[in-house]
Amino acid sequence: MTYFSAATFSHRLLYYTLAMNAPSDRDLILQARRGEAEAFGELVTRYQTGVFNVCYRILHERSEAEDLAQESFIRGYDRIQTFDIGREFGPWIRRVAANLCLNHLESQKVTTELDEERDADSAQLPEAVQEVKERSEQIRLMLASLPANYRLVVELRHYQEMSYGEIAAQLNMPLSDVKSHLFRARKILAEKLHAPD
Amino acid sequence: MHLTDHISDVQLNEYLDEATQERAQIESHLSSCDECAARLSTLQNLFTEIESLPELALTRDLAAPFKRTSSLPAQIPAWLPPTVILQAAIAVAALIAALPFLNQLLPKIESPSFSSVFIQLQTQWTAWLDLLSQFQLPTLPTFSFELSSLYLISALAVVSIIWLAGNGLLLRNQIK
Repeated sequence: MTYFSAATFSHRLLYYTLAMNAPSDRDLILQARRGEAEAFGELVTRYQTGVFNVCYRILHERSEAEDLAQESFIRGYDRIQTFDIGREFGPWIRRVAANLCLNHLESQKVTTELDEERDADSAQLPEAVQEVKERSEQIRLMLASLPANYRLVVELRHYQEMSYGEIAAQLNMPLSDVKSHLFRARKILAEKLHAPD
Repeated sequence: MHLTDHISDVQLNEYLDEATQERAQIESHLSSCDECAARLSTLQNLFTEIESLPELALTRDLAAPFKRTSSLPAQIPAWLPPTVILQAAIAVAALIAALPFLNQLLPKIESPSFSSVFIQLQTQWTAWLDLLSQFQLPTLPTFSFELSSLYLISALAVVSIIWLAGNGLLLRNQIK
């Protein structure tokens, strides 16, 4: 039994030593550029939850969100040679994900428009949804019920902390549209979230 | 903006988004108008609610395609060590039991004497020494031109530059 205790201790010691000497994002990017896919895998481990949540907030469909999050990292790996090493990896990969989701929504515009019509009618939410007491789930549902372009500006402003100008450039839309989409989205959310049950 | 005017929703949104030039005027109005201060507080609460949305967990590891399959050896099952010990014990017992039969069945192997082996090695060694004494190094070809020290230094400089440039190309990613 002493042997096992010693082994466990040495494993823990090794783990903490490795954790303390964990390579920086910059080191991992440089390793990935040299063809070390495992180094990029470590970056994926660090940022996958954040990237998935970007996709989920925009798409509100788990399976699609996971697929697009995976696709974001594959795109990121393909572009790693041209990535500006002075930038932070996290915000960059989240923007790649947001862009992919935008393209995805545009490619499915017909479906989305139908969804929007459906969502517009669903001002009166089904009873089952109204019974969801958890606030975060409620917010998630409210976000999902917004039109796609409203969802995008909310994502970019509130979760990716982009300025109006940056959002306009990213979505290729006039600044006035960015503001109106954002303010309307907030108004809708406020009305729905604070509406009496 | 006059102090008597209420702040519009657009102005409140821009104020919280830090995208307004009228910051000082808005703050001045907010300090004296409870109604606008309450509206600002409501909007701020909405921002907090949106931004405090907890992150959902993934159902699969997205890093898996980038990581190679583990090269660690498979774990030894618990039942294997006793089996190995048992097999070894049976093998030793079988060997002991077979010894008398082996003694009878195996033909006697004739081993050469020590002196004959020694003489054979000595003969071989003498033959090698003879061969080495007759060995001559090949003569190097002579150049038709005179190789001056200037040529040598120039060649060395060119090779050094090529070597440095080559290393620079190879390590360009790390230098950045």
